[in-house]
Amino acid sequence: MSTRVALLQGTLDVLILRTLLLGAQHGQGIARAIQQQSENVLLVEHGALYPALQRLEAKGWIRAKWGLSSNNRKARFYTLTQKGRKQLSQESSQWWTLAEAIGRILGPNNRNPEEV
Amino acid sequence: MFGKRRLDDFSEELRSHLAIEADRLREEGLDENEARRQARINLGNLMLQEEQFYESSRWAWLEQLRQDVRYSLRQILQAPAFAITAVLTLALGIGAPTAIFSLIHVVLLKSLPVPRPSELYMIGEAKHTGVYSGIETEWDIFSYDLYKYLRDHTSGFESLAAFQADPRRVGVRRIGDPRAAQSFGAEYVSGNYFQTFQVPAFAGRTIGEEDDRAGAPLVAMISYRAWQEHYALDPSVVGASFGLNGTAVTIIGVAPPGFFGDAVRANPPDFWLPLASEPDVNHARWVQNAQLHWLYVMGRVKSGSAIRSIEGQMQVELRQWLTQGPGVSGLLDVSLIPRQTLHLRPGGSGMGLARATYSDGLKLLLAISGFVLMIVCANMANLMLVRGIARRRQTSISLALGAARGRILRQALTESVMLGLIGGIAGIGIAFSGTRALVSSVFVGNSLPVDTTPDLTVLAFAIGVSIVTGLMFGVGPAWSATRADPIDALRGAGRSTQHSSFAQRGLVVTQAALSLVLLTAAGQLILSLRNEANQKFGFVSEGRIAVRIDPNLAGYKVDQLDALYRRIQDTLRRLPGVLNVSYALFSPMSGSNWTTDVSFEGRPPGLDGENTTSWARVGPAYFDTIGTAIVRGRPVLESDIDSTRHVAVVNEAFAQRFFPGEDPIGKHFGARPKFEKSLEIVGIAANAKYREPDQPTFPMFFLPRPQVTHYDNPGTMAFESRSLYVNDIVLHVAGANLSMEEPIRRAFAGIDPNLPIFWIQSLETAKTKQLSQQSLIARLTSLFGLTALLLASIGLYGVTTYAVAQRSKEIGIRVVLGADRNSVVGMVLRNAYVLVATGLGFGIPLAIVMGRLIRSRLFGVDWYNPTILGGAAAVLGICALLATIVPARRAASLEPLDTLRGD
Repeated sequence: MSTRVALLQGTLDVLILRTLLLGAQHGQGIARAIQQQSENVLLVEHGALYPALQRLEAKGWIRAKWGLSSNNRKARFYTLTQKGRKQLSQESSQWWTLAEAIGRILGPNNRNPEEV
Repeated sequence: MFGKRRLDDFSEELRSHLAIEADRLREEGLDENEARRQARINLGNLMLQEEQFYESSRWAWLEQLRQDVRYSLRQILQAPAFAITAVLTLALGIGAPTAIFSLIHVVLLKSLPVPRPSELYMIGEAKHTGVYSGIETEWDIFSYDLYKYLRDHTSGFESLAAFQADPRRVGVRRIGDPRAAQSFGAEYVSGNYFQTFQVPAFAGRTIGEEDDRAGAPLVAMISYRAWQEHYALDPSVVGASFGLNGTAVTIIGVAPPGFFGDAVRANPPDFWLPLASEPDVNHARWVQNAQLHWLYVMGRVKSGSAIRSIEGQMQVELRQWLTQGPGVSGLLDVSLIPRQTLHLRPGGSGMGLARATYSDGLKLLLAISGFVLMIVCANMANLMLVRGIARRRQTSISLALGAARGRILRQALTESVMLGLIGGIAGIGIAFSGTRALVSSVFVGNSLPVDTTPDLTVLAFAIGVSIVTGLMFGVGPAWSATRADPIDALRGAGRSTQHSSFAQRGLVVTQAALSLVLLTAAGQLILSLRNEANQKFGFVSEGRIAVRIDPNLAGYKVDQLDALYRRIQDTLRRLPGVLNVSYALFSPMSGSNWTTDVSFEGRPPGLDGENTTSWARVGPAYFDTIGTAIVRGRPVLESDIDSTRHVAVVNEAFAQRFFPGEDPIGKHFGARPKFEKSLEIVGIAANAKYREPDQPTFPMFFLPRPQVTHYDNPGTMAFESRSLYVNDIVLHVAGANLSMEEPIRRAFAGIDPNLPIFWIQSLETAKTKQLSQQSLIARLTSLFGLTALLLASIGLYGVTTYAVAQRSKEIGIRVVLGADRNSVVGMVLRNAYVLVATGLGFGIPLAIVMGRLIRSRLFGVDWYNPTILGGAAAVLGICALLATIVPARRAASLEPLDTLRGD
């Protein structure tokens, strides 16, 4: 069973950037990638996805172009820019620093073992 | 716009996303329709996302504005009757203040057409003018010597220029031109005048310092206007020799077009001459008399200068000059010197001579046109309210479908602002044509110094007023439109029996009140004008003509004057139709005036300015010719010559002011202390108005032309000598005045062809000119008052019609139930008249206040005037009656079945 965790604000941006590190992708593909990679913990609402994509595009961290999907559908593909790459590494390290600090405070992982 | 393009882009992206999702679901096993449906569900509210995207875009508000504008235009065009009424009403309401503002802008606000006018500073406020001798306390007019002193000792000015305060006319004739001399305005200026204003010559060169030296060749500059209108832009004018008052000068250059000098005045100068040439052309040698103050001083300060410190420095210099220099009037009381001061003022808008005369009148007109604008707004608000109510159904449906109230409010406001702008543009058209007419009426009979086409400032004003007007009359109705309850849409709006809203009623009341105020003011002003025009002027203007000459400028010597004036009198008397001829230094209503202080025998001399009177020299039979009665004693006679006893005739005001309760005949006075015995009073003339028609008659005395008193004071003596050259020949003719002009000119040509005539004018015309400003204001106020009345009537008509329409069902029901049709109609009308009465109730105290505010313009009319107030109220009542007749009749002829059936 998957536990749905509320996504902290601003983390969607870094997740999108990280997803695009692996290559160009369209909006649908990005949402699915995040869902799969997080093992269904993070389900991206499309209502949040597209505003996030606009934001990132406005800031110049990603670039968009029309292209053809695997099913020969016309789709808008996003790619990471140089600035975006820099931003990604910055934010990733910030995130890890944060996560470690919080982890240290909260102590070792006390979650109940999953019922298999 | 980018927003639009990206929205399409985004929509396409969403659709592609949908398609891809559907594909995926199909791959997972769902069939076509199910896949698509599921994809849709997964994606959520597409439209909402599109909207969110759209609204996050920065240009959304602009897009919405465009939509609102297009919608408004469509709405407006769909109701042509309403649109035309609205636009016409607005055009009038906006055009009027714009025209007035245009005038104010031209007369009061505009900068001189010179570079960097903000660097220009003038001394004083031009309260003194002409030629002045004496102490000023607050100095604004200077002698040549004093100007030079200030110029040479003040370091803060880049250049300090001086120019004649009161340019006079000169006779001009191009050497070799066969035509007779014509009179033009001419101004004497310092050598650095054009340099100070940084005005280059259009052709030739400007007057420079080298021309402003004693002994330099005589030169002059001509204005572009004169060059164009009188010499057809002939290039040979530059370098040509012209005779100015008979003296040959070389024209060295043409001033640029649009340059009219240093002040906004009617009849700007057409010729500029260096100060040093004044003795040769003006023959008065003012530049050589340190005690004659006839120059204004203006300069361009060095950038970064501290004005106050320059001012302080100049104040010290002034006092030094008064102490050490030739002094003032010789016998200056030294204790007064520390009180002498001057102040620097920004000079960028010129000397502002027209300002003092016209500013009060213009402000009043602006206030009145503001009233009209308010009435127009009230009318428009009414119209908009009615429209809003009619469209209530539509608005309710929009609200029910989810439109934001704010958006509807915005749309309504956009519509009213659009109307305002359209009306404003039409109003600009009105203002454009109206301004020209207005300016000609204000500067009556004279040439306009400035361009009257509306420039950017005026256009900005008009547009600003349009937008504000649109907002003002749109806010109320828009607000009430958005308060529409959506449930009304379902119920079917229009079935309500509510009376016209409070706002509508309030508007009619406001209009009625404002109309009353304007009508009352108009009545008072018109009556004042009539009183002023019909008052006893103390002289007769019918059949009287004045001819202005200047023998001084034509080079006559003092001893030639006796013969000249006798010849003039004899020759003119022999013309057919001429009953009598005489002359005076200046005639009544001519715009001229000479004043002096007087001292009386047996009394201590008054302070400077305490005993000031007007005075003039007159010829024999003057009082007869001008139609002024001699109350006691005798007039000036032919036998009064220099060698006989020096006499004076005083007017009643003089007698009352200086000899109350006594008989002035036989008493003595003079123009200076120690000369109190020089003039003996031999007659009292009836009061005659020589100056402003709305001021009480000034004390005045009249001297025989040849009798000269030799004063010890050079300043006074200069005036005394100059006054021997009396300027105005006055004729009493029988029959029509104007046909005399040709014979008079020929007669003068016969006496001396080199003596130019400056103007020939009947005293009737002179009077009209003096009354012109008052007349204009009265006429405009009446125009506005009638417009206000018309608008208020239309408003009342609209409200009543609407009320009848609203209550048509109610009326139908009542009639069917047996009520008397007339009493039903009376009920509707009663409401209307209650509104008018309330309007009157508010308007009456407002009108009284208005009367008090304009009391300075009233002449012989009480500011609190129940008669006029009552009359205005009656007129309003009658118009209300007329306005409600048609709706009343319509109400009376309603078929009850029709009203009950209709929805």
